[in-house]
Amino acid sequence: MNKTININLAGIIFHLDEGSYDAFKKYLTQVKNALESQEGGAEVIADIEARIAELFSMRLDEFSREVVSIEDVNFVTDTLGSPEEFEDDSQEYSSKQTKSSKTKKRLFRNPDEKFIGGVASGIAAYFGTDVVWIRILFLILLFFTGIGFITYVILWVAIPEAKTTAQKLQMRGEPVNLSNIEKSVKEELDGVKERFGRFREENKGTQSQIGNFFGRVGNFIINVLEAIFAFIFKFFSVILIIIGSVIGFVLFIALFGVIASTWNIGGFDFINIDGAVIGFNAAEAVLGSGVDLTLMRVGTLLTLLFPILGLIALVARAAGKPLANGRMLNVVGGISFFVGLAFLLYAGGQVANTFKVGATEMSTIELEGQTFDLRADLLESPEGFLFEVDDDKLRIENVSLTIKKSFDTTATLVMKHRARGKSNSDARNRAGQFSYPIEQTGEVLSLNEYFTVPKAALYRGQELRATLFLPVGSEIFLDPSVENLIYDIENVHNIWDGQMIGHTWKMERRGLVCLDCEDVEYYNTEEIEEQIEELEESLEDDIERKIEELEIEIKRLKEN
Amino acid sequence: MKIDNTKAQMRKGILEYCILGILDSSDAYASDIIAKLKEAKLIVVEGTLYPLLTRLKNAGLLEYRWEESTSGPPRKYYSLSDTGRSFQAELKMTWEELQEAVKIITTTPTES
Repeated sequence: MNKTININLAGIIFHLDEGSYDAFKKYLTQVKNALESQEGGAEVIADIEARIAELFSMRLDEFSREVVSIEDVNFVTDTLGSPEEFEDDSQEYSSKQTKSSKTKKRLFRNPDEKFIGGVASGIAAYFGTDVVWIRILFLILLFFTGIGFITYVILWVAIPEAKTTAQKLQMRGEPVNLSNIEKSVKEELDGVKERFGRFREENKGTQSQIGNFFGRVGNFIINVLEAIFAFIFKFFSVILIIIGSVIGFVLFIALFGVIASTWNIGGFDFINIDGAVIGFNAAEAVLGSGVDLTLMRVGTLLTLLFPILGLIALVARAAGKPLANGRMLNVVGGISFFVGLAFLLYAGGQVANTFKVGATEMSTIELEGQTFDLRADLLESPEGFLFEVDDDKLRIENVSLTIKKSFDTTATLVMKHRARGKSNSDARNRAGQFSYPIEQTGEVLSLNEYFTVPKAALYRGQELRATLFLPVGSEIFLDPSVENLIYDIENVHNIWDGQMIGHTWKMERRGLVCLDCEDVEYYNTEEIEEQIEELEESLEDDIERKIEELEIEIKRLKEN
Repeated sequence: MKIDNTKAQMRKGILEYCILGILDSSDAYASDIIAKLKEAKLIVVEGTLYPLLTRLKNAGLLEYRWEESTSGPPRKYYSLSDTGRSFQAELKMTWEELQEAVKIITTTPTES
């Protein structure tokens, strides 16, 4: 089975199979490119299309077929000849006969003379002015109104890039004929040859093949990086080198933070200098102090070396002083990048293996009394970090507490310790190594936002999920310090956790009820319930009265 | 200098005259003109002719009308305009002069 594509030529529908469609489309595009820019080109193209339609119908009739085959397409291209041929003739003619033949200029982006996207040089080519003026105009627009930026981006998107030689000629307004194309292609080829020659010349210095290979790889990566950073760097360095440097610095830090924290779980704000510290902290927590950590650290530094060198090179370039031995830097950076990456991947694989299985251990503590003042102030808490590494222990801030109704008459605190490991026993063993102190003095129940594990246990996804079961009738005050501890506590008012703190709550049969929430705006179900009750009562009264009336009425009727 | 190139140049020069000549004797479709030129080996591929016909038409030397075709889309039926006719007559004179001139130049030296 073959797919066919329908085309419309001069008002007639033809079916082409895929292969012949591709060939035919290619041919027709060549014809159009060759003729479009000429005077009366559209008409000639229409004529040629009509002729092709005629030839196709002729062939289909002759061989009584439905679908245009590749032979038919070849027949047509042979009959009509290659586009260069008819272009050649006509152009000779027009250049001799009508000197005034003008080629319509078209607006393209110029990839050969671009600073950012080639928009300015394309416009300059279109209006025949020097590109400097257009760039100055863009900068003035940028400085005084800011629309320069938006205009540029829109134009960048909207204007096509001059990719083919014909388009480049059209961009400059030179007639697209064979001799011009030849000239232009030759110029381009010479340029490429020259560059290639220079490239080979330069690479003779680094004799070894490996050096060559990494040189090329390095080149490739720097090209990619350049493409990514080019816009930001070039644009801003034009405005002010200083702004460029600041952004470079920020990017550098961000990059550092991101790579350093590759192995870290949970999200933090990377765009700060702390990011790197957290990253290393997390790395130590996850990897321990063994070989893996060393591999990770070395790997990170090696991987970073390359972007750092790249950034330095880019900044130097933007400042107009390209580094002299840039290629050497590429080679060194490229090698270190891949070695570093290999280290990171290895360490990553090792770590991933130790996260394979999860296990949970449970412990229950019975609490005294019926009134509680819940606090999270037992231990001093380090600000903000998920991980803190002490000399011998690892602090992990991953505790959450919820409150539920107890079916018992005593209050209990149930804690689930979860951890992961290589095997089930490994994970279970780790889950048993939690240290989470609890203290009850009178009404005050002191808990904590974090727990600790021995440093040797390492971070393996440990978390503590605690549930406080309160018997009906008991009361609890939530101290503001528990804000980060409590999670998703259900209550009859549907108040969210953040607003529950600072209030006293009573466990009733229907759930937690706030005793002093007058200042909190919430959906008060109690009030509505009362209203409903009142309404029901009054309805009942009404019905009773009505029944009484009816009974009296019935009695009266019976007597009569 | 390539011989093929020179040949092509020669043919090209008289192509225009030949088209006008064909249309002088009778009106014709583009495909008829092509067929005749091909037969005389003046052109090899058809594509060459379409730009030329359009240019001659735009220069006011040719006129055309649409004719329905049984096998395909409607076709342009070309004929000489008045200017085309006088243009053709002038070219004919030039051609004959040239022919004569070429004959004299290429034959005289060997005869004498």
